[in-house]
Amino acid sequence: MIENVIETTENCRYCLMCRHVCPVGHVTRKETLTPHGWGLTIASVRRGMLEIDEKVAEVIYSCADCGTCRANCVTDQPLPSAIGAMRAEIAEKGLAPQGAYDVHEKLQEWQNPYAQQAPDLASGQGEVALFVGDDARYLNQSTLEAALLLLQAVGVRPVLVGIGRNNGYLPSSLGFPNTAAQLIQITLDELTSCGASTLLLLTPGDYYAFGQMREERLGLALPDGLTLQEVIPYLAEQQGAGNLNFRKTDEQAPYAYVDPTHSVRVTTRYDAPRQLLAALMPKPGLELFWRRERAHPLGQGALQYTNSHIATHLNYARLADALERGAQLLVTEDPAGLAQMERFAGRFRLRVQGLYELLAGQLA
Amino acid sequence: MRQGIQGEMIRSELEEVVGQDFISVEKTDLLVYSTDWSWMPQMWLDRGQPLMPPDYIVHPGSPQEISDIMEIANKYRIPVIPFGGGSGTQGGALSVFGGIMLDLKRLDKIIEIDEQSLTVTAEAGLILSQLEWTLNERGLTLPHYPASANCATLGGCIAPRGTGTISTKYGKAEDMVLSLEVVLPTGEIIHTPPVPQHASGPDFFRLFMGSEGTLGIITKVTMQLDYLPESRLLRALLFEDLNDALEAGRRIMTRRLDPFVIRLYDPDSTRSRVRKILGYELEGAYMVIGFDGDPDIAALQERKALEIASELNATDLGREPGEKWWEHRYDFYYPPQSLKLPWMYGTTETVTTYDKITNLYWSEKRAVEETYADWNVKFIGHFSHWFHWGVMLYCRFIIEEPPEDAEEALRLHNRIWNTAMTAVLENGGMINEHHGVGLKLSRYMRRQYGDAWPFMLKLKKTIDPNGIMNPGKVGFGF
Repeated sequence: MIENVIETTENCRYCLMCRHVCPVGHVTRKETLTPHGWGLTIASVRRGMLEIDEKVAEVIYSCADCGTCRANCVTDQPLPSAIGAMRAEIAEKGLAPQGAYDVHEKLQEWQNPYAQQAPDLASGQGEVALFVGDDARYLNQSTLEAALLLLQAVGVRPVLVGIGRNNGYLPSSLGFPNTAAQLIQITLDELTSCGASTLLLLTPGDYYAFGQMREERLGLALPDGLTLQEVIPYLAEQQGAGNLNFRKTDEQAPYAYVDPTHSVRVTTRYDAPRQLLAALMPKPGLELFWRRERAHPLGQGALQYTNSHIATHLNYARLADALERGAQLLVTEDPAGLAQMERFAGRFRLRVQGLYELLAGQLA
Repeated sequence: MRQGIQGEMIRSELEEVVGQDFISVEKTDLLVYSTDWSWMPQMWLDRGQPLMPPDYIVHPGSPQEISDIMEIANKYRIPVIPFGGGSGTQGGALSVFGGIMLDLKRLDKIIEIDEQSLTVTAEAGLILSQLEWTLNERGLTLPHYPASANCATLGGCIAPRGTGTISTKYGKAEDMVLSLEVVLPTGEIIHTPPVPQHASGPDFFRLFMGSEGTLGIITKVTMQLDYLPESRLLRALLFEDLNDALEAGRRIMTRRLDPFVIRLYDPDSTRSRVRKILGYELEGAYMVIGFDGDPDIAALQERKALEIASELNATDLGREPGEKWWEHRYDFYYPPQSLKLPWMYGTTETVTTYDKITNLYWSEKRAVEETYADWNVKFIGHFSHWFHWGVMLYCRFIIEEPPEDAEEALRLHNRIWNTAMTAVLENGGMINEHHGVGLKLSRYMRRQYGDAWPFMLKLKKTIDPNGIMNPGKVGFGF
């Protein structure tokens, strides 16, 4: 609840030190839609200077919940979680944007926002499990197929869990923490049932949801002995050790790697995808301006349902960034991010390629 | 928003200029834009008291749009307040009379980087850190490193004559400016000559640096760049006696050893801020000194400076405490490590010549500490921007248990400022060196300028006949 995060908003309401990295502030250029603006808005509600109404809700629901502010904060202020808590209060009052309630209804009924279909059961028993989620299930199935091929190449045959289930981030970000906790708990129970002690995760977003977010926002514990491992860093480790080899592609177009949304929340992962790409691309990649610890998100997540205008501009901004850097091909692994980029890439005359698919296609 | 027919006419006309996506009269926006980084409005809001908001928040996308907005503002005699990053500490961006708040951050393009002449031309709403990242990719830097770099805009650095961490070698922001594009209060868009060093008439472009938006709006700027230094040599020294430390700094500067930084903390700052942020428990005056550029030259400069420090009984603490300071130099400003509410605080930075600095420091410190002893006021300071002729003194007063009532708190705050500024002016100091005048220091401008003040008023009247530009700031009324 909001009472738990007041210290954060009190710290952030007049602090401008992450103003330069906020992606929403960057695309809107509006002071209200920056970490300082959100902190001050929440603090002002608390002081009775603003009442929670649709306008306040619109402001609070304009944050992308991407974590870039916190990743660049010297004192590690968890402002996105504070905004999440405020959204929970707004949602409870019935004042959240309608899109939030529509998606929440789907999440409650189907555990995903994309299809009227319940998640599939776990694929069996085993020590290593792979969380499939809803994005890889419904937005880009080739991501999963390619990831499984790559894992198989290093001798890993994971049990599939959470097939078609949201990782809990979307309801948490929309202001429905109970639903978020339920979804995560179902997956954790599934893991326990199938005897897994390692949970592989396809994206930094999944890694964040089952790691920091689960603990910090929802207060849920992992089953005893369960460890989390993101797939791309794991594959990079295997490639570095000589256990995973690739043929060089004949791709000649200048390319850039797009750090997926939430990358900034997993600060140890920046080199891994670049290392893998270097192993198969004939030329070094270009770097986007908004990369690594300042990587901006794409317009996925809660924002696309609550403020699609800003979400679209986040997509435009990333594609424009790539264009300015001279890239013609963009590579990333997050299926939701791929879907967003594919929607708009044509306008920028850019091609988009999944990292898992690219790697799997070049297995030696 | 202004009420009635006139209010809606102004809104509609502004909307016609910028488009409906770029104007707001929403209460959420009005609240956020009603404050800047200064203590006064923050305290006011903290006590649950509303501030005077702007009537309209407008996000222009070009100098021409700003020019058109000026026409509207002059027609309706409504104030225009430029807003960059909002990081000013003196209330320079407060809409004390309401009016049109012009957020300039849509003007954020880098127009040209000239790697031969080492210049950059960019729009004034660009955030400094974003510019710096771009320059660093080419091995270049704009050597203006203020603590506000992450939020301050290019124009916002120049308009109040800002200073950065490495100004001792590279100069103040204003020293890096080659030319400006400015929209005048009467709407004309003018360009200053392409270079600043010439003999083709007076340097009128300097009028806009320090004007804080009272004489026009800077929309584009060309600035001098540098190569990123090949080396940076940093170390820390400890002096038992602050006077020895000041003398060491003076000798290093007057012998032109060219340090890029000399940061000298007084004993109270060493005991409090240095301990809190860097973790060193030291007694005395802590000095960080740095030399950069060609490694051989920097090493020689450092050796000569250390000889001077040694003559003045400095203890050499080595590289690590200097490098740690450099790495964490902005950490001082992140909450909760920074000074924050509900405390009362103010930064009374000043500058004077070497012959006066010691007396000024002690006079101001004594005046504040003795006058407000009942409030258990703390007065700490550091000396951080050094010139051939003098040095800047950055002092802070802090009261941990100020009055709860907003008006009473502001009254006390103003009295302390008055005490401090009187001590500064009586001892040959300027009322500030780099934070600008804003609203807070506006009332001291007449005393500061003396017989030159009527001339300043005439200039203002000539350039801004209707007094629409940022009224209440830099000593000018409405």
